[in-house]
Amino acid sequence: MLAKRLAPVLGLALAATLLAGCGDDSDNTDPAASDGSPGGVDTSQQITLDLAFWGNDVRAEMYEQAVALFNQQYPNIKVNQTFLAFPEFWEKRQIEAAGGGLPDVMMFDYSYLRQYSENSLLLDLAPYLGNTIKTDGFTEAALGIGVVDGHTTAISIGTNAWAMYLNNDVLSATGVSPYAGGTAFADYDAWMDQVTQAGGGTVYGGQDWSGRIQNFEIWMRAQGKDLFTDESEVNFTADELKAFWQAGQPCRDGVCVPQSKLEEVYPKSGFGSAQTASELTWDNFGASYMGDLGVEQTSLTIAAPPTYRAGAKDLYLKPSMMHAIAATTDQPEAAATLVDFLLNSEAVGAVFGTNRGIPASATQLAGVDLDPLSQKIYDYEQSITDRLGDAPPVPVVGYGTIEEKFRVLGTELGLGTVTVDQAVEQFMSEVDNVLNA
Amino acid sequence: MTTLSNQTPLKSAVAPRPQPPGHGASQARRELRAGYGFLVPWLIGFFGLTLGPMVMSLYLSFTKYNIFTPPRWVGLDNYIRMFTADPVFVKSVKVTLGYVVVGTPLKLAAALGVALLLNYFTRGSGFFRSAFYAPSLIGASVSIAIVWRAMFGTDGPVDSALTVFGLDLGGWVGNVDLAVPMMICLTIWQFGAPMVIFLAGLQGIPAELYEAAEVDGAGAWAKFRQVTLPMLSSVIFFNLLLETIHAFQVFGSAFIISNGSGSPGGMLNFMTLYMYKRGFADSQMGYAAAIAWVVLIFVAIVAALLFRSSKAWVHYAGESR
Repeated sequence: MLAKRLAPVLGLALAATLLAGCGDDSDNTDPAASDGSPGGVDTSQQITLDLAFWGNDVRAEMYEQAVALFNQQYPNIKVNQTFLAFPEFWEKRQIEAAGGGLPDVMMFDYSYLRQYSENSLLLDLAPYLGNTIKTDGFTEAALGIGVVDGHTTAISIGTNAWAMYLNNDVLSATGVSPYAGGTAFADYDAWMDQVTQAGGGTVYGGQDWSGRIQNFEIWMRAQGKDLFTDESEVNFTADELKAFWQAGQPCRDGVCVPQSKLEEVYPKSGFGSAQTASELTWDNFGASYMGDLGVEQTSLTIAAPPTYRAGAKDLYLKPSMMHAIAATTDQPEAAATLVDFLLNSEAVGAVFGTNRGIPASATQLAGVDLDPLSQKIYDYEQSITDRLGDAPPVPVVGYGTIEEKFRVLGTELGLGTVTVDQAVEQFMSEVDNVLNA
Repeated sequence: MTTLSNQTPLKSAVAPRPQPPGHGASQARRELRAGYGFLVPWLIGFFGLTLGPMVMSLYLSFTKYNIFTPPRWVGLDNYIRMFTADPVFVKSVKVTLGYVVVGTPLKLAAALGVALLLNYFTRGSGFFRSAFYAPSLIGASVSIAIVWRAMFGTDGPVDSALTVFGLDLGGWVGNVDLAVPMMICLTIWQFGAPMVIFLAGLQGIPAELYEAAEVDGAGAWAKFRQVTLPMLSSVIFFNLLLETIHAFQVFGSAFIISNGSGSPGGMLNFMTLYMYKRGFADSQMGYAAAIAWVVLIFVAIVAALLFRSSKAWVHYAGESR
């Protein structure tokens, strides 16, 4: 009976075993082994490709249309599409990766790129770049983003940058003028305090910015340091992190929305639930905020984030999402053809708009009819060129875990369940665990 | 048949024909083989799906295993890390134990209370029995967890109702102090399954015992203390054991209500949820396997303690004391 009742607990053991049993296959995923030589896809042969992406029904509909356009040119290539929400997408990929069954073409996230590349799970795209996958529309910087240890294993679909969204509807109700952007963090706090005071307990200036690792990143980059080195070593000290979290104290002491209110709406943010007037986030989040808030595009504006030091090159452009091909694909040429179409086609650009970020490929961008919000995102990225520095090294293996730990500790600081010292100790210990996993 | 009709049918039954040496043994072997043949499906399941994975997970618990690269032996590191360098795990143990220790007795008390009422008031008891049992069937579902989240949110029905009575607690979902009580309310609400078992137990208590007690002048409380509880003790033990183990496994509702985060402040980060996150979100399968074993050991210890204590308070019918 005990064993029966414990079945769910033992489920993990089972899953782990199945994974372990399949794990050895992944050794055979040497990119060279499945490296078909490019020379145009065979149009006489029936080919089936699996395509996986994350997103929602809206994006799925867009991919549906994009694939239909692809099939007009390549009727012999059948594309099976699957999509999931972001966390589930990666849980599924992790298990497939262990079993050697990754989909031929995947939407890919920057934070997993090193892990998958270093384990030879992604096809080295070098033989296809410049021929099957056209690169004329991409800048050197955009192409360089998908390079791990000298191999290009993914290509940016679009780029984004760290930014601040402002909700004009909320602001006009409080009578406070919008945040100017690019000030010191303390000045941003002062601005948020005005909104919070005017909001009378229902609307707040923003949420605790020290709970996001991206803000710590720009804080450190303004001091000339990325969070991790090229060799995946920690590049900040416990004291630096402590100073950062201490700087967030005014926010937690009443300037920002209380964490307990945010817990109730998670995974929506304070901004997405119309409780705050501002939020620091990636600039391509506008469309999802519009969905959350049910507002018009004109209600949202974008400003530059506050900075630790005026004049610093603390921001950078990163891929909002990428496309990659599994090293195990039987059809590398067809997969590369599909990737090229999804990245470069003007018609595909017209289908997606900025749903996947501002297109990294100029050819695709030409097809995009920028709506007012997309135009704001585009203008924002143009406006911060003085603050754009070199992109940091490709995120360390396990970056997703580190980022989530940072977020959780931020919420705990807000709830008062840990002190800054305890949070620093826990975070450094977690980073150590992840980097030495 | 015609040849057999000349024989006394009973004869062969009473005095079997002498068998050649070894015949009985071979039949026994055949029966044994047939027995094992019938057992094969179960044995495959047991070794392939239960014992094998358990052994594997025990091995993995002594390794670092990120799914992508082969497991690396680290000895007791995972277990040491759990108790010395992972305050999140220690907190998840405390939260889980709090939930089990408070939630299980309350649930059983509710189940017993309602079972007593249903046993006493027989009118419409069939309807009420079904009505009270229904939450047990749907309580673990995703939809109920979502409903719970909405009910206990700020300005949700619970908050509004309490405010009417002057208790302005705000939302429970985001409140560090009220998140676990909210989960306990959810488990109490699912008292139907133990209630049905209690009811069966109550109906099995001979009416003569109550009559005898009444003759001796026992009131309602004395009858409950002196007759019902002792006669029901084996059922109480059964329910207690089952519900305790069940409580240790709380996962789905905590996952949905906290959106997989274990928030607020780790108060819904039960051991099972933490194990899942370590394994599947963080790809720390070795560490997750170690947590699985610690959960198993916790459950085994609690079950052993319950069995041990049962000698002192559980009375089985027909047992001399």
